[in-house]
Amino acid sequence: MKRLFTLALACLMALSLAACGGSSGGGADANQTADNGSDANETAVTYLNIWQPSDKESVENWWVEKLAEWNAAHPDIQVSRDAIDRSDSYAYDNKVATAVTSNSLPDILYVDGPQVSYYAANGITLPLTSYFPDTSDFVDSTVAECTYNGDLYAITATESSVALYYNIDYMKECGVDLDQLAAYTVDNPIKWSEFEALAAQCTTENYVGTHIVMDHGEGLPYALEPMYVSNGVDYISADGTTAQGYVNSPEAVETTAFLANLIAKGYANVDPITDEFLNGACATEIQGSWDVTVLEAADFEWGVTYYPVSDKTGTPVSPCGDWAAAITRNCSNPDAAGEFLQWLMSPENVASYSAAISKPASRLSAYDDPAMAAYKEYPLSVFQEELSNNASPRPRTPSYATFSTDYAEAMTNIFARAASNGEVDESYIQEQLDNVASKFEKDYNDYYA
Amino acid sequence: MPASNLSARKRNERISAYVFIVPAVALLIAFLVVPMVYTVYYSVFRYQVMRPDNITFVGLKNYLELFQDSDFWQSLRNTLYFTVVVVPTQTVLALALALLVSKRFRGVSVFRTMYFSPQLTSMVVISVLWIVLYNSNPNTGLINSLLVNLGMQPVNFLTNPKTAMNAIIFMSAWQGAGYQMMIFLAGLQGIPGEQYEAASIDGASRVQQFLYVTLPNLRGTIKYVIMITMIQAMKLFTQPYVMTQGGPENKTRTMVYYIYTQGFQKGNFGYACSVAAVFFVIVVTMSLIMQRITAED
Repeated sequence: MKRLFTLALACLMALSLAACGGSSGGGADANQTADNGSDANETAVTYLNIWQPSDKESVENWWVEKLAEWNAAHPDIQVSRDAIDRSDSYAYDNKVATAVTSNSLPDILYVDGPQVSYYAANGITLPLTSYFPDTSDFVDSTVAECTYNGDLYAITATESSVALYYNIDYMKECGVDLDQLAAYTVDNPIKWSEFEALAAQCTTENYVGTHIVMDHGEGLPYALEPMYVSNGVDYISADGTTAQGYVNSPEAVETTAFLANLIAKGYANVDPITDEFLNGACATEIQGSWDVTVLEAADFEWGVTYYPVSDKTGTPVSPCGDWAAAITRNCSNPDAAGEFLQWLMSPENVASYSAAISKPASRLSAYDDPAMAAYKEYPLSVFQEELSNNASPRPRTPSYATFSTDYAEAMTNIFARAASNGEVDESYIQEQLDNVASKFEKDYNDYYA
Repeated sequence: MPASNLSARKRNERISAYVFIVPAVALLIAFLVVPMVYTVYYSVFRYQVMRPDNITFVGLKNYLELFQDSDFWQSLRNTLYFTVVVVPTQTVLALALALLVSKRFRGVSVFRTMYFSPQLTSMVVISVLWIVLYNSNPNTGLINSLLVNLGMQPVNFLTNPKTAMNAIIFMSAWQGAGYQMMIFLAGLQGIPGEQYEAASIDGASRVQQFLYVTLPNLRGTIKYVIMITMIQAMKLFTQPYVMTQGGPENKTRTMVYYIYTQGFQKGNFGYACSVAAVFFVIVVTMSLIMQRITAED
C-alpha cells in the first residue's frame, strides 16, 4: 500500500511538471488560426496579437476602445494587444530579442523608427508594401524611416518632434527677454550660444538652466541627433554602412563638447529628478510634444520655441520618428494582419490616436480631422511646423541597436566626467566617440557587410 | 526478520528514493546543466540573436577577442573590487548586528525585524529608493541634503566614477546584511552557555569571550556566510542595471551586466556565451580557492 502510494505521488508530480512544460507553448498557440468546431462551413477565426510599449492612460484607453470596435466588426479576425513596459531603457527590445530566439514573436510588433532597418535586415519583419502601395498621404520622414531596401517594413500613425520648453514665470524673475524668445521662427530658431546664455542666466541655487534627456536608452540618440546634423555631420553615413568620420568627426566632438559644457558649468543636471521641468527645478527643457499634456498639471506659465541650431551653420533640424507597427515572420495570417493595419492607419484612426498620444499625425489628411485642430494652434503648432520643415530621420542601418547602446553609454560617460571635473575634456570625448565608431564598424562588418 | 525480506525492503526504499529525486534532478538538468552545455556550445559560434538561422562556427575566435577586450577586463576588475570589498564589509556588519540582537531585552524582536526587512523588499525597489537618497541635488537627495546642512559640499554619488561603485557597495551591504545576520544569530544560539560561564569564571573579559568562545564556535557559520556572500557578489546585476546602467565611465559595469548587454542589447549571443563560460570558470576557481583557504586543518 505504501509503495503504491509512493508511486502514485511520484506520477502526480511528474504529471504536474509535464503540465507546466506544456503551458509554456501557449503564446505561440494563441497566435494560430483556429477553426471553431468540426463543421467545415463555420468561419475560421484568426487571432492576432500585438506587442507595443505601454503608454499613458489616454493611449491605453484608445486601444481598448478601438480593438473593441474592430473585434465587433470583424468576428473572423480577433485582435488583442499586450502593453509591455519599456522603462526608459531597452527592456522592450530585450523582450523582443528573447521572442526571436524562442520563435514566439507576436503577429504585429511595434518597433521604434530607427530599429525598422534592424528588424527588416534580420528577416524579423515582413514587407508591407503590398498593403500600403500608396504612401503619398504619409509625411516624408515617416516613409523614409519605415523603408528598408526600397520596401516599406513598418507603418506608424504618428510622428514625433522635440522643441525647447521654457518656464515663463521663472524667466520673468530672471529678467529674460520673453519677446525675443517668442520671436524665433521655424527658419530662424534660437542658436546654441543664445541657448547657453539663457541657461546661464537662469541657473540659480534652486534651478538649473536646462534639462537634457538623460534616459539610458534610445532617448539620448533620438533627442540629441539634430544638434549633430545641424552642426554639419550626422551619426552615421547616409547609406548606413559606416560611423567612422561621422559620430567621431571634429564636428561631432564639437557638438558633444557643447552639450557636456552645459553639464560642466552646472547649467544642466547629470542626474535630474523625474519631471524636472514640471517640478519647477529647471528653467528650460529639450523635450517632445507629449510633454504638452504632461504640463497641463504645471502650476506655472510655460512656452515652447523651436529646437536650437548650431551657430556655425544656422541649419534648423528637428528629431522625428515614432514607434511603428510591423508584421512579424511568426504571424499566423499576414493578410489578416495587413487588413487590420490598413484599418488602423485610416485617417480617422490616425487623427484620434495622434490626439490621444499627443504626437503629430503621420498622415497629411488626418490634419483635416477635428481631433487634430490643436496642431494648428500654439503650442502644438511648433512641433507640426518642425515636422513639416526640418525633420531629420535617424540613421537607417541594421547595426542601429549596437550604435544606440554604445552612443548612450559614451554620452553618459562624457556627461559624468564633465559633472565630476567641472570642465570639458575634448580628448576624452574624442576617445569615447572613436570607441562608438569602432564598435559600430565591427558589428556592421561582422553581421551585415 | 529474514535476510531476503530485509534486502527487498532496502531495494524498495532505494527505488522510492530515486523516484522522489527524479523531478528535482530533471529540473536541475533542464534549467542548469542544459543551459551550461549550450553556453559552452554557442561560445564557439558567431551568433547574432536576431539571426538564429545564420550561425557560423568560428572556433576560439570569441575567446581570443574576449582576452583583448578592454571592456571585459574592466567588468572583471569591477566585479572583483565589489566582491573583495562587500564580502568582509557585509560579513562584519552582519556579525555585529547578530551580536546586538542575540541578547534578550525588551523589543529585541522589533530590531531583528527591522534589520531583516530590507531582505523582504525587492532589490529593484530598494535601488530606486537609493537613487533618490543619493541624488546630487540637495533639494531632492536626502544624503546630500544632510551633507549640505553639515556645511559640506554635495557629492555626485552615482555619477562620479570615484564614488559610484562604493555607493552601490554601501547600499548592497546594508540590504544584504540582514539575511547573514539571521544565519549568524542561529549560529550564536547554538553556542552552549556553559562555555561563556566557564570563560567568565576564568576571568575572561567580554572581548576575550568573543575572541576565544564566540568566534571559534562560529567558524563553520562564518565560512558559510563568506562563501554565499562571495557567490552572490560575483553575480551583481540588479543594482548597476537600475542605478547606473554600468556607468559612469563603466566603473559599475559588472561581468553579469556585460554578458547581458552583449547578449541582449547588442545581440552578440555567441560572444556573450564565451564571456559567460570564462566567468563561470573564474567563479568556480574562486570558490575552490576560498574553500581551500577556509578548510579545516
